[in-house]
Parts: sequence; structure tokens; C-alpha cells
Amino acid sequence: MIYGIKRTTKYLLGIDIAGRSLAVYPDDTFIVSYPRSGNTWTRFLVANLLYPRETVSFANIERLIPDAEAVSSRYLKRIQRPRIIKSHEYFDHRYPKVLYIVRDPRDVLVSYYHFSRKFRHIADDFPLEKYVHLIVTGTLEATNWGTWAENVGTWLAARSGRSTFLLLRYEDMLSDAHTELAKLADFFGVGASPEQLQRAIDNSSADRLRELEKKESSEWVATRNRRSDIPMIGSAVPGKWKSVLPASAVEEIESAWGSIMVQLGYELVTQKAANVQPPLAATAGFGKQHE
Amino acid sequence: MIRYLVEGIKRARGLHSPGRNLAILPDDIFLVSYPKSGNTWARFLIANFLYPDQHPDWGNIDRLIPAPEVMSKRDFERIPRPRVIRTHDAFNPRYKQVIYIVRDPRDVALSQYHHHRKRKLIDDNYPFESFLPRFLAGETNVHGSWKQNVASWLAARNGDPKFLLLRYEDMLLDTPRELSRIGSFLGVEATAERLSTAIAHSSPKEMRRLEQVHADDCGLTKGTRQDLPFVRTAKSGNWRSDMPESSIMAIEAAWAPLMQFLGYELAFGDQTGPVESAFPVSAMGGPVR
Repeated sequence: MIYGIKRTTKYLLGIDIAGRSLAVYPDDTFIVSYPRSGNTWTRFLVANLLYPRETVSFANIERLIPDAEAVSSRYLKRIQRPRIIKSHEYFDHRYPKVLYIVRDPRDVLVSYYHFSRKFRHIADDFPLEKYVHLIVTGTLEATNWGTWAENVGTWLAARSGRSTFLLLRYEDMLSDAHTELAKLADFFGVGASPEQLQRAIDNSSADRLRELEKKESSEWVATRNRRSDIPMIGSAVPGKWKSVLPASAVEEIESAWGSIMVQLGYELVTQKAANVQPPLAATAGFGKQHE
Repeated sequence: MIRYLVEGIKRARGLHSPGRNLAILPDDIFLVSYPKSGNTWARFLIANFLYPDQHPDWGNIDRLIPAPEVMSKRDFERIPRPRVIRTHDAFNPRYKQVIYIVRDPRDVALSQYHHHRKRKLIDDNYPFESFLPRFLAGETNVHGSWKQNVASWLAARNGDPKFLLLRYEDMLLDTPRELSRIGSFLGVEATAERLSTAIAHSSPKEMRRLEQVHADDCGLTKGTRQDLPFVRTAKSGNWRSDMPESSIMAIEAAWAPLMQFLGYELAFGDQTGPVESAFPVSAMGGPVR
């Protein structure tokens, strides 16, 4: 009852978290990914590219590219249009234009494990293998983004091949930030010189973000009141799972999500999972972007 | 401001429709489809199958198999479990047990066109050729496009034992077989008598007759044209005779891969370059049959 009154009051005042029920405008662009897939880095890249006069930091990122899960519905209605909004939502047909970032789910889970410790969702000594099992079966997360395969799969199935949908792999962004950021600039309809691209990349480097996090973690809604001994900005190195994940966990991930991983160009290593052959891969076609 | 306040009071008392914020119970079963894909027929079939004593009609169907967009939050909390809930939502990970009905998009387009006439959204002389581009773009209803709705569910759930995929066309062709599949999904034994009674009470003729009696008691029919019945032809393949060739081509050009995956034969083959060619079929199980 009290909960109901609280919610209603918040709704009336417009201070409820926007979340999935946010009002979408036709000129909105969304930066979407499953959590721990390079979304924060992408936000900085986009912000630095589009707003070169701003010194982009954790202190102003919620103003430049707000997180629908962190700000109120009133706030989102008041910011200047066209808006760029960060989201972790599984497919939402109302999002008109979507930049989707995907990352090797084996690395995603390693990163998510540390993140869950940072947020005190799990104890420090929570076994990694058990954590992977809970995430793969979709039974751990308090907030429901769907599983990795549901999140990635629904967006790709519904939107890939459209001009209003850009799919980038986090790994490609790491290995060739220039090329990927040029695609991104194109998607946002801004011409950018090589110097401008380089500047955005430098201002969004992992080192710089780590430095900013140290200074500003208390000012950013995502890191405020969280454990400061575990950084939000992780190692930003691909393939970390190879040295960290137990073989059984790798196998569990690959047998659950193998077919989508193969389509995205993430090579499978476990024998059992390697037999997960997409039945109709010939007609699929979305892997073409990576050929 | 007043409107806002009224909405706020409604919320406080639980009189608003919960929509996507519906509190889901672990034993809920969702009956999902894109609009105009046989959802209402399936609703009557299931209601007649599960609750024959209630004599399902247009006046009580919203209570027997409620929709989160229509029924109030408070009433939702009062209906007996397990609940069968009807929705047109695209993929939602919180819906764990799902009966998904899919229909040939060429027939869906025609059906939606006539539904818009019934709802007085378009005139009788509004050309289908003007309707179709809006249909393809997902602008003719609030649930987005046919392809995105179907693809999001298939990509996430096809092959899952808790996901029952039915084609409207198969339901027409062999209703007892498909209804008994629904029965075993719901864990209810389907005797021949129970099936035939439920099917008879959900026939197009019976549903049309009941609409005449209760049209004003149901959100689906209230205020709509009564010269056009909600249950129109209840057939498959109307597009073959009723749809302009250019429109058939446009639908197939846009959605060929997904249509073929579902076993809907193309009239124009692959001659036209698919607009949305990229469909990650491999993210899903095998072909339907």
C-alpha cells in the first residue's frame, strides 16, 4: 500500500525512473547493449564526437547521453532533442534508431561477475562457475534485460539489415577504433575528419576513463555508493575469459548461446558446443557485416 | 493537469490497466500474437475449452482471458490461477510460458485493413495500396510491424518446451489437433467431446452471433461499425483473390526469409531483392515443420 502511494506520488511528480516505459520520440537514437558490453565507452566516444566543445566526463554524461534506467521520466522529457539515450533493454519496437554494441559473452560474464561484486549483488567469494550458471539460465539478475542471447537475438532478428540499425562488435572497436568510429559518425550523420575521430578516441581512452572514475565516482549515478575498490571501467582487453573462466563454464555458455556466437564471429572452443551448427545459416546473412 | 491527477488517483486505487508493468505470477500462461492473427478465435477456443460452464462470449471474454492493456490492475489480482493472459507484445523475457500464434502476413495485412474500416479509422474507399506501406512500416498499430513481433519471439524462444508455436492456418485446417496441442501445453486432458464442444462454441458463425448480442460489452467491438463483423471470413489465403499483385510483391520483398521459415510459400519467389534480407534464422531452432 505504502509502496503504491510512493509509486503514484513519484509518477505524478514525474520523478519515477523512466526505464522501459519512457516516452519515445521519433527523432530519438538509442545506444543499446547487454550490460558489460562496452556501452559506457561507446557513450563517451559518441559524446566526444558529437559535442566536441564539452569536456565529457562522468559528471555530465547523464546530461549528454542519459541512461533511461538512471534518470526520471520528467528529466528525459525535458532534455534537448534530438536525444541520444543509453539503454540495456531487450528488443523494444518503439526505438526508432538503434546503435547496438555486442561483445563476446564469455568476456561479458567475466566482467559482469566483477560488476556484481562491485554492486554487492554477490559476495566476494561467490564461485565464478556458479555465477555463470545463474546468468546463463537467467535466474540471477534483479533487473530483467533478458539473457544475453535473448537481448542480442531479439534485436538482431527484428532489426538487422535496416539503415536505422547499426551493429558494432566491441572487439572490432578495440582493434580498430578509427574504422568503427567512422561508421558510427556516419550513422549519426556527422562528417568527421581523421583528426576529429582521433580526438574523440583519445578523450575516451580506457586510461582516461579510469582516471575520471577515480575523481568522479561519487558524482556519477552508476558508481555512487558502490564499492570503490572494484573499478567500473574494467581491463578493456578482449579474450580475458581464456585465462579466467573454468572450462565447464565456457562449455555451458557455448552450448546455450553457441549458434548466435558463431553468427557474430565468436569462435567456439569446446567440442560439444562446436557441433551447434546453425540449421539455416545460409539464409541468415547478418554476419556479412563482419566479413 | 486534471487528466494527470485522474490518472494518478486511478493508479493509487489500482484501477489503471497494468500493461507491460503487469505483475507476473510463475504459473501465468500467455497467449501472444501480432494483432489480426487469430488471437481472438484462440481466446474463445481456450475459454470454451477451459471454462465451458462460463459460456464465454464477448461480454465475459475480457475477464476469462484478460488483456493487460484492458483489464484493471486490481481485477487482475483477483482472477483465479493459473491465469491465461492475452497480449500482442513483442518479446518479453518475463513471459515464461507462451502460446504464440502466427499467421501469413499477407492475410494479416488484409484483415487489419478491414479491421481499420470497422473501427472507422479509414473510409470504405481508402485504397489498400495506401494502407500497405504503413502496415509494412509497423505504423498501423501500436505493436510495431508483423516481422519484428514474430522475429523477436522466434529468436528468443523457438524450440523452448515452454513456447508453443501455432500457425493460424494449421488451426483452421485441423482445429481438433491444434486445440489438443494447446490442451496438453496447458496440462488439461482433451477428450474428443470437450474438443468438439469448444470448437462448436467458437465457430465463426457463433462468434458473429454473439457479437450481435454483446458488442457494447467488449473493448474489441464497442463503438465499432456493426455492419462489419469482427469475425470476418475466418479463412486463409484471402490475399490470393483480394490483394493487388503489387502489394503481394511488396510484402514478400520485405519479409521473404521469415515467411519461408514459417512455411508460407511465396507467390513471386525470390525475384525481388529482400529489403530486410537479414534474418538470423540460425538464432532459432529448426524450421516449423
